[in-house]
Amino acid sequence: MKYFTTVNEQEYTIEIDQEEQILVNGEPYQIDFQQLLQGGTLSLLINNRSLEAIVNEQENAWEVLIHGELYSVKVQDERSYRLAQARGTVLPETGTVAVRSPMPGVILDVLVAPGDQVKKGEKVVILESMKMENELRAGRDGVVQRVHVEQGANVEKNQELLVIGDPDEEA
Amino acid sequence: MSDNHDNHLLTRKFDKVLIANRGEIAVRVQRACHKLGLQTVAVYSDADRNAPHVRYADEAYHIGPPSAAQSYLDIEKLLAVARQAGVDAVHPGYGFLAERATFAEACYEAGLVFIGPPPHAIRTMGDKQVARQTVRAAGVPVVPGTEPGLSDEEIIAAAPEIGFPVLVKAVAGGGGKGMRPVHRLEDLPEALAAARREALAAFGDGEVYLEKMISDARHIEIQVLADAHGNVIHLGERECSLQRRHQKLIEEAPSFVVDDDLRQRMGQVAVAAATAVDYVNAGTVEFLVDRDKNYYFLEMNTRVQVEHPVTELVTGIDIVQEQLRIARGRRLRYTQEQVKMTGWAIECRINAEDPYQNFMPSTGTITAITLPTGPGIRVDTGVYEGYEITPYYDSMISKLICYGETRADAVLRMRRALEEYRIMGVKTNIPFHQHMMDSHRFLSGQFDTEFVEERFSMSDREAPDELEAAIFATLVAHRRDQRASQMVAPGERDTSNWKWYSRWQRVH
Repeated sequence: MKYFTTVNEQEYTIEIDQEEQILVNGEPYQIDFQQLLQGGTLSLLINNRSLEAIVNEQENAWEVLIHGELYSVKVQDERSYRLAQARGTVLPETGTVAVRSPMPGVILDVLVAPGDQVKKGEKVVILESMKMENELRAGRDGVVQRVHVEQGANVEKNQELLVIGDPDEEA
Repeated sequence: MSDNHDNHLLTRKFDKVLIANRGEIAVRVQRACHKLGLQTVAVYSDADRNAPHVRYADEAYHIGPPSAAQSYLDIEKLLAVARQAGVDAVHPGYGFLAERATFAEACYEAGLVFIGPPPHAIRTMGDKQVARQTVRAAGVPVVPGTEPGLSDEEIIAAAPEIGFPVLVKAVAGGGGKGMRPVHRLEDLPEALAAARREALAAFGDGEVYLEKMISDARHIEIQVLADAHGNVIHLGERECSLQRRHQKLIEEAPSFVVDDDLRQRMGQVAVAAATAVDYVNAGTVEFLVDRDKNYYFLEMNTRVQVEHPVTELVTGIDIVQEQLRIARGRRLRYTQEQVKMTGWAIECRINAEDPYQNFMPSTGTITAITLPTGPGIRVDTGVYEGYEITPYYDSMISKLICYGETRADAVLRMRRALEEYRIMGVKTNIPFHQHMMDSHRFLSGQFDTEFVEERFSMSDREAPDELEAAIFATLVAHRRDQRASQMVAPGERDTSNWKWYSRWQRVH
């Protein structure tokens, strides 16, 4: 099996025929991969180098914790990778993107209005939670299509706050 | 001072303690109680039934919904539990009601020993202006500045004597509102007007005053212990300059910049500040220290501090146990000469915050947690597997404290411990601490209170195990696919049978 694996925008091709030997970008690695029962801990020997990790499945990615650092890893098999490339959605920069509240809280300020042009990474909403002011940012370049909340609103975790879309899309 | 002082009447022997708090500090206080053979009573909100502080206590009482105002801050409910459980003392921990003079008073009126300072000391130190005047009268240096209540003309006339740069500050201020740095005399009139406008809008009070701006300031604090018999000692300093938005992140003892002479002088001044308010129990006097090692009183915290463990590790003194002994009317066990600092201790506060996303708090459930162990490691924590991090309480998961013979030794241990520490389900600031432990500025002790916010960035951190993370995830995904292709029944497939068939063909 061939996989296309992405970490921090770095892509690796990983081929697994049998688990004892894999190819990473064509280079062979000797692998011994063990899953411990307790706490989902994984033990991996890569060319006898010993590593431990915890891996959790997320919606679109795998979360891997190694040496205190948490990595978000996307794994695609060959078929879904080719399909995604054909559709041009390997890195979705088109289509609407919602800004959601990462936690429950109170909206301190909405910095944009429908019709506003925004840049990826631009501050759009200030959310107060856990006694802190948190800046929520646009997930893509585009135009604000809808704003669902106003200043002072109480919001739940994962609630859609506003939607950013292509400039030509109807609001 | 003598034994006849009123404070003597506030202390008394007790056998059963109500801990009016939650989280790691509640567990910390219980540990000291159990060591001394005292019974412990915990309180908990709906959010905390399964918390360690409930399970560790001898008795536990439910006090209401998760919101702190309706549980841990509700004095009436806490006193009702105290009566029901038949306790004779109350420990407030830190935060919540720890620095409310009214709570200490209510405890005394209910016939309970309050394990902390007397109400008048809490009240005096709680009012910044009164505290400043009180300690200054006792010879404690304060940051030079003007008194409140002056006109713009009077302030402008006083400014050159204080020396630029200065800070214009709102009397009713907080959170940086109504605060303005001014570097030149000619900019002062406009800054005063703007600060007054801002303070009036934010707090309904346009009163402002001037304070000398201390550049390259370090935040260094002195731990004091005082018994009810008039004995006051200090346990040396803690370096707390590494902060973000006035929240301390890393503390150490001793401080890189404090030598024996400075320690002795600052210690004496801290003792004088405590004596000025007839202080009893454990407390902390906070100072700003400038480049030339001038030190200025900031405030006194009239409670046990989050970072007390670093002092415990270098002095060998169990501060919470001393709090209990002092409240029981005992005399201090140590003279100033007996207090020695040995080795070095560092504390990292582990918070549920994402350091790569501007320290955004991360809520969720801790699905797995493995604490670091081994020589020189101490972890004080109040969370567990399955613990949900809610917006109701602060985001601190635990305190990781490392001890070493030298600072370098402590840093190396901390690096190792941070690597061992595993928390899944929420993002933590562990990578921030790792990055700090690798930073040249931190290693050479060159930092001030603005370092984290102004000159420290996570963006230059290279993630060291990217390839390994990729291999792990791919192996896990591969195993799952293998299992799925063998086990999934046709009706449960999420793709069409034809697609499934072709995938199956490729696998085999």
